[in-house]
Amino acid sequence: MTKMYPFEPAEAPPEYRGIPRIDPVLCIGCGACANACPPNAILRIDDPESGMRRIVLDVGRCIRCARCEEVCPTGAARLTAEFEAATDDRRDHVEVVELKLARCRNCGRYTHYTERQVAKVLSLIPRGILDFDRVREKLPLCSECKLKLTVLNATKFGEGE
Amino acid sequence: MKSLWVFHVNTGACNGCDIEILDVLTPYYDVERLGVKLVPTPRHAHALLVTGPLTRQAYHAARMAYEAMPPKPRLVIAVGTCACSGGIFHDSYALRREHRESFEYPLRGGASEFLPVHLYIPGCPPRPEEILYGIALLKNIVEKKVRGSWFSESAFVLPRESFNAWVEVLLRARIRKELGYFDGYPLLRRFMELVESSESKEELEKLVQKAISEESDSRLRYGLEKLYSYYLEVVRTYESILAAKRALVRLPK
Ligand code: SF4
Ligand code: SF4
Ligand code: SF4
Repeated sequence: MTKMYPFEPAEAPPEYRGIPRIDPVLCIGCGACANACPPNAILRIDDPESGMRRIVLDVGRCIRCARCEEVCPTGAARLTAEFEAATDDRRDHVEVVELKLARCRNCGRYTHYTERQVAKVLSLIPRGILDFDRVREKLPLCSECKLKLTVLNATKFGEGE
Repeated sequence: MKSLWVFHVNTGACNGCDIEILDVLTPYYDVERLGVKLVPTPRHAHALLVTGPLTRQAYHAARMAYEAMPPKPRLVIAVGTCACSGGIFHDSYALRREHRESFEYPLRGGASEFLPVHLYIPGCPPRPEEILYGIALLKNIVEKKVRGSWFSESAFVLPRESFNAWVEVLLRARIRKELGYFDGYPLLRRFMELVESSESKEELEKLVQKAISEESDSRLRYGLEKLYSYYLEVVRTYESILAAKRALVRLPK
């Protein structure tokens, strides 16, 4: 029997790999998906002027391998069961999640990670193992300030004892 | 337009998409219901069905096929991710493409590199329904379903509180090794719900045993057992580190 499909709805089987989506409520902007994606369908674009990071997913480049779902630490990137992605305009295929970059607490410039990444990392430290407040104090540092701090600490080594 | 006669050109596709086009022509999907016919020469075609990421060799032939088509309507349909944007082959040495900044989006490549494309059907390969949907979209039978979206600093949710979030990260790596992401991650979500809903260790053990006995899939039973033993391991490690730290602090200086 011929399938009636465009005239009646069709569903994909449950294990079907449909088009991926990023959940903006869960995404922390870490860029793990952009690193893993084989055809570079996900880009991580940092804009130091406006202090924003954009995670750009292009469904029209995606081969639906689910690597993004596998590596995403928060479960934000997921393959849906949707498959009706045909369009006449490629801009319909683009999903952008824009997140704020954290500011360095020392020099005030933008760091290479987002505020949500800081929040996520802090939420992962179990209480009692590390000194929670000291980590929180140090955390948003840009790479240059971190470098300086490390050198400073190294020169101080042994003075205290 | 009532009927669409198409000429199919493969510009370097891996054949996955071409096989799906054959699928669409079988009696089960029967694209000829929609008036679509595959014709053997571009001179009879309304539309050029392009698959593949556009290799340098195929470029000239595809160009000639396009120019041989009647000037109206001269539609171009890109089938597959490769034809839409270059797909997995987007940075291959064999492709014909312009040099572009890598941060432009929508990403370009494939058929749009040299032809005005009227319909993009992404998928690697697109399933027959996707191709049928695309053709139906071209004939205005169905509505367009995808839309571009832009989210800027919306609400933010951290799914779990500190200790359980840490446990989840550790268990996640383990369960991915045991079961893979497809079965493993949903199972981990189920397990973490059990952890969060239980007040004490004894209660968790009971809940896990109950879940294991109710599960019919033996792989998931195995996964649950593993998750529970890893969970106990993580908790033991945490408690021993904590005890060691307490002992250190109590030491007289
Ligand atoms: S891996 Fe997940 S959390 Fe990280 S940027 Fe991608 S979608 Fe967002
Ligand atoms: S499914 Fe694969 S190709 Fe598609 S966005 Fe995720 S990692 Fe990239
Ligand atoms: S989109 Fe995928 S299946 Fe189609 S030609 Fe490209 S690699 Fe092959």
